[in-house]
Amino acid sequence: MLAASLIAALALPADVNAQLTQDQALQLAFGSADVERRTAFLDESDLEDARALAGPRAGIDRGVVSYYVASDGGSPVGVAYFDAHRVRTLQEVLMIVVDPRGRVARVETVSFREPPEYEAPEGWLAQFLDRPLDDELSLRGAIAPMTGATLTANAVTEAVRRTLALHEIIDPFDARQESSNR
Amino acid sequence: MNSFQSIAVLSTILLLFTAALTPSRLDAQAADSARVAELERRLDAITRELERMDLGGDVVRADTAMLGLGPAASKVYRVERGVSIGGYGEGLYEDYASEREDGSPATSTDQFDALRVIIYVGYKFNDRILFNSEIEVEHADEIFLEFAYIDYLINDDVGVRGGILLAPMGLVNELHEPPIFLGSERPLTENRIIPTTWRENGVGLFGGNDAVSWRVYVMNSLNGMSFSDSGLRGGRQKGSRALAEDFGVAGRLDYTGVLGLNVGASAYTGETAHNAMFGGEEVGGRVTIWDLHADYRARGWDLRALVAGASVDDVAELNQMIGLTGAEGIGTAMLGWYLQAGYDVLRGSTLEDQLLPYVRFEKVNTQREVATGFAADPANDVTITSLGAAWKPVPEVVLKADYQLWSNAAETATNQWNVSLGWLF
Repeated sequence: MLAASLIAALALPADVNAQLTQDQALQLAFGSADVERRTAFLDESDLEDARALAGPRAGIDRGVVSYYVASDGGSPVGVAYFDAHRVRTLQEVLMIVVDPRGRVARVETVSFREPPEYEAPEGWLAQFLDRPLDDELSLRGAIAPMTGATLTANAVTEAVRRTLALHEIIDPFDARQESSNR
Repeated sequence: MNSFQSIAVLSTILLLFTAALTPSRLDAQAADSARVAELERRLDAITRELERMDLGGDVVRADTAMLGLGPAASKVYRVERGVSIGGYGEGLYEDYASEREDGSPATSTDQFDALRVIIYVGYKFNDRILFNSEIEVEHADEIFLEFAYIDYLINDDVGVRGGILLAPMGLVNELHEPPIFLGSERPLTENRIIPTTWRENGVGLFGGNDAVSWRVYVMNSLNGMSFSDSGLRGGRQKGSRALAEDFGVAGRLDYTGVLGLNVGASAYTGETAHNAMFGGEEVGGRVTIWDLHADYRARGWDLRALVAGASVDDVAELNQMIGLTGAEGIGTAMLGWYLQAGYDVLRGSTLEDQLLPYVRFEKVNTQREVATGFAADPANDVTITSLGAAWKPVPEVVLKADYQLWSNAAETATNQWNVSLGWLF
């Protein structure tokens, strides 16, 4: 009986650490809201300001930032950023959604290529929700470390800080940047 | 020509001029608009390509069914394969006092050791099957395989694991990168009773969710013929041509539902004599090890508590087969525990550095009970108080220094200074 159950379980299509596409992630975040893809082109001064906001470990060095602005009936719902970063050797991609108040509305692991035991569980990611960019948004502040996955905890925390800093500089609801429908 | 005629002529000329020029101007404007639209299209294409290069082709991709499966079921096939490399290491300097606690000359020699350098290598075949390993160079001249296993993930919550496995016991055995535990030296309880780093060949199940994690392994058992009065450490077979007449079962359950907190228990049981005969009868030598542990790390605090015990059966027979007599005998019951606290005093500063003064109090007795006819060596009833500090310039690098006050029931212990440098990446 046990063997039969195990064989049945092995035969099931696995949804283990399923990879999301951007479209799937945006659908999760915004549902039926209108989503517009935009790109910000930041100069060195903008990047310096973002680095100052994010802190020394956040590593902001890219001047071209694409992001996704969601609105519902003309009212802003939120902005989704996709942040790719290295965890140990391999890459993780997070979708970080910022609400109109500039606080974290969602952190979703879109892609994680390291062994799954190092991936941040949903419960751990939930502690970022509703947090603004401040000193408490750190592993020395209000963010609890993750047992057995120190590098992931560092990477996720820095990604959220980086995103909130860029969000503040870009100011996405001031739509001067290049845009295109996704 | 009167003024009316003049205006008429000028108007006619202007109309003719306008008629002559307007099509080309409009053409030019139209051409400019087309050029701008084309530039916008190209810019959009470039930024999308940048995004695809940044995030990876498996993320920036329209949903399509693959291999006849719907988009959700086909996600697993999008995973890019890749080798993952990481590592950690530590060096340790130990400076012993010149006298034991009873005032007699100490015999311990100061030591500076390249304790361990480790390379992690992992490979993901797909999102369900992966390989993970830890290759260790100890003391600069010994090479070990600390773990090397294949995981098969049945679903999000359960997986099967096989290979050389770390016994899922205690707090340090599975998680022993220097920057994530306080103390230049690992706790003695997790050295003599839980013989860290304890790894054996085996297979098992693992799983968990946001609130709990668990592991259950069947592993080749310890070798009871290598136990001693100072504990179980010598019984590790380390995956190398391991005797496999006896197998043990190890398991753990941890509650992780509160962020930063890990509370759990682990246990192991298995016979260890591997069919050895004594007096015409097969000896079992069953060992049972257990531990209760709690770990809290948040808001600058680093707190730990652990208690571990062990019992060994057929000790009289094992002692005689090994040739141990008197106070050299293996303990039939062992007990150890420690409490540890540290706090990041730079937490409120603008510095990135962390500085954690810490204290650990520990008691270990590997001969809490001994077999009939044998005696306990009071030197194995140990108390250690460690006072020190850990400085982390970045979270992945740590310099630790501590002073350890050792005492034992025989009053032969020697205090020591330790300084260690550790890292992980």
